[in-house]
Amino acid sequence: MTTATLEPAEAAPAADERLAYRGPIQRLLIRPEIGALIGAAVIWAFFWAVTDVFGTTAGVNNYLDVSATLGIMSVAVALLMIGGEFDLSSGAITGATGMLVVLLVKEVGEFGGAGFPATVAIPLTLAFALGIGWANGTLVEKTALPSFIVTLGTFFILRGAKLGFAKLFTDKVIVEGLDDAPDHGFWENIFGAVWVRNDHVWDSFLGGRNVVYGVLVTVGVSLLAVGILELLFRRRATPSSSGLTVALVGAVGAYGGLIALTTTDGAGQNWLWGTVMAVGACVLLYGLAAWRYEPLPAVGGAFHLQDHVGRNVALGLGAIVLGVALGLVLDAESQTELGFLLTVQGFRAIAYTGLVITGLILLLLAARTAGKASPLTQLAITTLAAVSVVAVAFIVQSQSESRKFRAEFFAVIVGVAVVLFMIGVLRARFVERRTPDAASDRLGRVIALAGITITFVGIAIRLLFATTVENETIPGEVRWRVSVLYFLLFAVIGSYMLLRTKFGSWTFAVGGNKDASRQVGVPAARTKTILFMIVSAAGWLVGMLIAFRLNSVQANVGDGQEFFYIIAAVVGGNLLTGGYGSVLGAAIGAIIMAMSFQGIPFAGWNSDWRFLFVGAILLLAVLVNNYVRAKAEAAS
Amino acid sequence: MSALLELENISKFYGNIIALTGVTTSVNAGEVTCVLGDNGAGKSTFIKIIAGAHQQSEGTLRVEGDEVMFDSPRDALALGIATVYQDLAVVPLMSVWRNFFLGAEPTRGWGPFQRLDQAKASSIAREEMAKMGIDIRDTEQAVGTLSGGERQSVAIARAAYFGAKVLILDEPTSALGVKQSGVVLRYILEARNRGLGVIFITHNPNHAWPVGDRFLILNRGRSMGNFAKEEITRDELIMMMAGGAELEELTKELEMAAATGTADPSLKELAEEFAEEYEELEERTEHD
Repeated sequence: MTTATLEPAEAAPAADERLAYRGPIQRLLIRPEIGALIGAAVIWAFFWAVTDVFGTTAGVNNYLDVSATLGIMSVAVALLMIGGEFDLSSGAITGATGMLVVLLVKEVGEFGGAGFPATVAIPLTLAFALGIGWANGTLVEKTALPSFIVTLGTFFILRGAKLGFAKLFTDKVIVEGLDDAPDHGFWENIFGAVWVRNDHVWDSFLGGRNVVYGVLVTVGVSLLAVGILELLFRRRATPSSSGLTVALVGAVGAYGGLIALTTTDGAGQNWLWGTVMAVGACVLLYGLAAWRYEPLPAVGGAFHLQDHVGRNVALGLGAIVLGVALGLVLDAESQTELGFLLTVQGFRAIAYTGLVITGLILLLLAARTAGKASPLTQLAITTLAAVSVVAVAFIVQSQSESRKFRAEFFAVIVGVAVVLFMIGVLRARFVERRTPDAASDRLGRVIALAGITITFVGIAIRLLFATTVENETIPGEVRWRVSVLYFLLFAVIGSYMLLRTKFGSWTFAVGGNKDASRQVGVPAARTKTILFMIVSAAGWLVGMLIAFRLNSVQANVGDGQEFFYIIAAVVGGNLLTGGYGSVLGAAIGAIIMAMSFQGIPFAGWNSDWRFLFVGAILLLAVLVNNYVRAKAEAAS
Repeated sequence: MSALLELENISKFYGNIIALTGVTTSVNAGEVTCVLGDNGAGKSTFIKIIAGAHQQSEGTLRVEGDEVMFDSPRDALALGIATVYQDLAVVPLMSVWRNFFLGAEPTRGWGPFQRLDQAKASSIAREEMAKMGIDIRDTEQAVGTLSGGERQSVAIARAAYFGAKVLILDEPTSALGVKQSGVVLRYILEARNRGLGVIFITHNPNHAWPVGDRFLILNRGRSMGNFAKEEITRDELIMMMAGGAELEELTKELEMAAATGTADPSLKELAEEFAEEYEELEERTEHD
């Protein structure tokens, strides 16, 4: 018999030829939260377009406020879910801790009160919550029963206890009077603090809020674009100074156009400055690329339109033209019922956006298919798509009564066209990087992240500070609650913990393959128990937030919410079976849920429809996540 | 110098079931001890005892000359005995570097600000895998996307890196194709060359022979012998392993089944194959 003699010294297999290079962008696309991020953007745009309040600070405040308590919980639930378990008592614990703290601070003698100061009652409540989490975790670990059943039991125990004790002590289904505590004021600053936006006017310092906001967002978006370029293209040996000059000229055009655009409002002026800005941005990006990245000798391939590509192009253009025609023919203001639920106005909006987006997708698909044979054709079709987008932008602008559509929407659509067009041009003109380059990857990532951070700081400034004009013209107060801050903190700390600490690694491991992780020395039981305790601690925090907000807690607070936490986590790309997922995704999932909950009544629809909407989002999210992951894994 | 690991007359009873009886063998540094046996031969019991998951009912286990009795896998691990289970080796959805350092993550920073030292973990994982002859380009790659042999090798490289002296490999080649099996066998040799004692458990004598220095053959819970490589030939090994007499019996049974005519025609082919193989075996044994 012949067995090849095994030579250990034999050359190691060279770089695995089956492993294709996966660019940073592609790697970003397989992140679990990416589906949720896209979904959030689409839903935001949808409600922004159909309601007046949604895009204002008041609207943002409204849905972020709802998302805060939901999000704190869904972040914790996502961690537990990645660890491979569920906690159905996570909703009930929020109400239970809230009730408990009220009962503990009430005066002795008065219905079951314990008369503790809040300083004692609050840590006691936390200990209670941690105890519940510990019990859940230990029971699940010791009995090896599914956490589904164990925590279902805990859920009913808590639910019954809440109702039973509330009735026993107060004869009502609500416990009231948290503000009886002598030290209530101190703790209210922690759990019930409020930032009244209208009290914080920023008019003059550093040119006022609007200038700071505008500068930060512009700088942020520009940095993001530069970072993406760095990630995508291959550096050239010697930078080209003429490219830099072109970039500078483009920058002057882009920023000049932008400043002029923001300081003028009038349908006649916007298109001029909009065009200057768009062309300037294109020149800027091209110049930057020419300065730093290696050019292709020429746009490859003769112009060649395959049959099916041609058909897609025709269909796409047809859809866009049809959409625009519908938009022109139908009356944008008409409230006439068209039948089932839809007014003429609503039908117009849906048909218009739906057809235009479908058309655009068809065009882009055609461009992609064509690009395999001829980059030149791809470039031509991409340009066509960009031109159609700009045309739609102008039609929207000429038709609109509201400033929202005339200026802001116009700028966004033109921006989309610029991005589309420039992606096509740059990919056809410059060499894309096909090999990892640690230095470039790091630089690009740092720049892009800095860009995103700066953009968000700009948006936050706009949300937190009012201007005198706003205070005078817009009625009502915007009150930012501290819960939003806790939500942000929770999402950031949770994400850091999951991705950057030992415990995070263990969480992935016990959810992905418990036996293997135990085998290599991961304390699996302890990890899971701590995860259960994190969930109940989050429940405690939410309980405190609710109690200090209302000074009273109803017995049914939180019951049934656990499903929304799980839905938010799943929408955020967390795998139901554990071992895979993202905390940031769950946070975004919570924001998606809150946007849909609040957007539906804003839009004037009966809020009974919201569950239908949430169900549809859940299904869609699961399908998209599935698809994206399969696609991403197939690509590797 | 005493052997890294010595087993003397190890037996294991589960109630009245005799899972393993009178097994003696040893593992030296820089040597591969192969444990061969068919299904139900007692191989899993054997591993569990050395790995510390079960305790032997009789017999002695010595690690570097000292008599030991393990209470848990952790005890065995502490003495440098690492086990790589075929299907439990890695967490497929996690990246290579996370898997490599799972349970022993390097950290930077202090107290609550301790964070994973991702750069260090990543580069060590890449280096250690390179020593095994695998070039991992992207340590962020999920282990599930690696081939079966490479997955095993992540576990082997990990055990070697964390100071294992004795490496137990449970059927590392059984689920793999021919080429992948070859790759894993090469990792076994790599590990041996690095001075580890390797216990290689398999039911395939063709995999055991080229890498083994010592062979322990188990059959129905009994030791059929414990041979150094010089003491046995390849064909004797195959013969013993397959249980020559049993093979003959099986051939007859199959022939009978085929003769009744009602059976699947493929049975007959199978019977012929068995007969041929048996003859071949006998012939070769005679030659030696």
